[in-house]
Amino acid sequence: KMAGVKAFTGLTGMAVAKNPGHTLGVLYSKILRACAKMPADYTYRKETETMINERADIIKKSADMAEAEKKIGMGQIEEVIIQAENELVLARGILEWRAWEPLEEKAPENQWKWPL
Amino acid sequence: MASRSLGRIVSSGLLRNLGVQRTGLPLINSARHESTEGSDSTALETRPTVRKFDPAVRQGLTDFGQYVAECMPKFVQKVQLTAGDELEILISPAGVVPVMSFLKNHTNAQFGSLADIAGVDMPTRQYRFEIVYNLLSFRFNSRIRVKTYTDELTPIDSVNDIFKAANWNEREVWDMYGVYFANHPDLRRILTDYGFEGHPLRKDFPLTGYVESRYDDELRRVVQEPVELAQEFRKFDLAAPWEQFPAFRESLPAAEEVPINNKE
Repeated sequence: KMAGVKAFTGLTGMAVAKNPGHTLGVLYSKILRACAKMPADYTYRKETETMINERADIIKKSADMAEAEKKIGMGQIEEVIIQAENELVLARGILEWRAWEPLEEKAPENQWKWPL
Repeated sequence: MASRSLGRIVSSGLLRNLGVQRTGLPLINSARHESTEGSDSTALETRPTVRKFDPAVRQGLTDFGQYVAECMPKFVQKVQLTAGDELEILISPAGVVPVMSFLKNHTNAQFGSLADIAGVDMPTRQYRFEIVYNLLSFRFNSRIRVKTYTDELTPIDSVNDIFKAANWNEREVWDMYGVYFANHPDLRRILTDYGFEGHPLRKDFPLTGYVESRYDDELRRVVQEPVELAQEFRKFDLAAPWEQFPAFRESLPAAEEVPINNKE
């Protein structure tokens, strides 16, 4: 599947990923498992699942990583891996904070009034 | 696909605008710049100096504001657009860490840079201090502002774990306003002098301060004494009796609210 591994990413401190397809597959499945625990009508869950499935699809159908990078359109595959890691941290955080619940604390009267 | 990600909207909106901005000034035909004669072929600049209103960018920002409110309904109280194209998310103080984490980590947001944390003191309010976080997204070239509130004694969670830039910025807010940040690794003064008492940017702190320092020859060190000014404080009333901007009598509202679904 790999037509040719690139020599460098061009970004300081970012090493070329050794097996990006596998890494992304693992991360995406973890994100989807975290999203499955959220309510079904939650906007974050719907958007994230759509986006993750789209990206996983692109990676599966692409001949090599360079084509996948271009199709996803969010920078290099190493950056896509970082985005997936962040998304996983966020999904787990949202499960902990239960962010889908309705507004917890209303602002006092005139708190946001401007000009005073 | 009905995806309201900021990326797709903003990147397409921005690319469309890049070509439009470059309408140059009319060329000066006369080449005699050194001449003392007045150049009579310069056309007057007739376009008004108002900011361009770009509905595509504003629609993108409105959509993104609604998206954030739908993803974080527990914490987002209000979303508004100020100055035409600055998106502000107003949240409850308990939601600082969740919302900042969402804005940094979510792929549709990716606001990876905390530009500034500012404080605002409005003593007439119940929660007098407003904490303002300014974020920048490199990926989508856009900015967003997150605002919370607190009073003198209620702590706010530190976002140091999410943005390392918050370290010194929160120290500054602590020093200037007295807002305590919970879970901050090192919350101490940063701008005021070592023994300084008080929080200078509060509205009840006077412009001159309370103490002044001088070197005392007898004690051979710097001493701090109550401030004594040679000239009494002068307050200038800069309002003129005549109306200053008659063409702008109907001023635009300070902020335009973005409608969100606030289910109770």
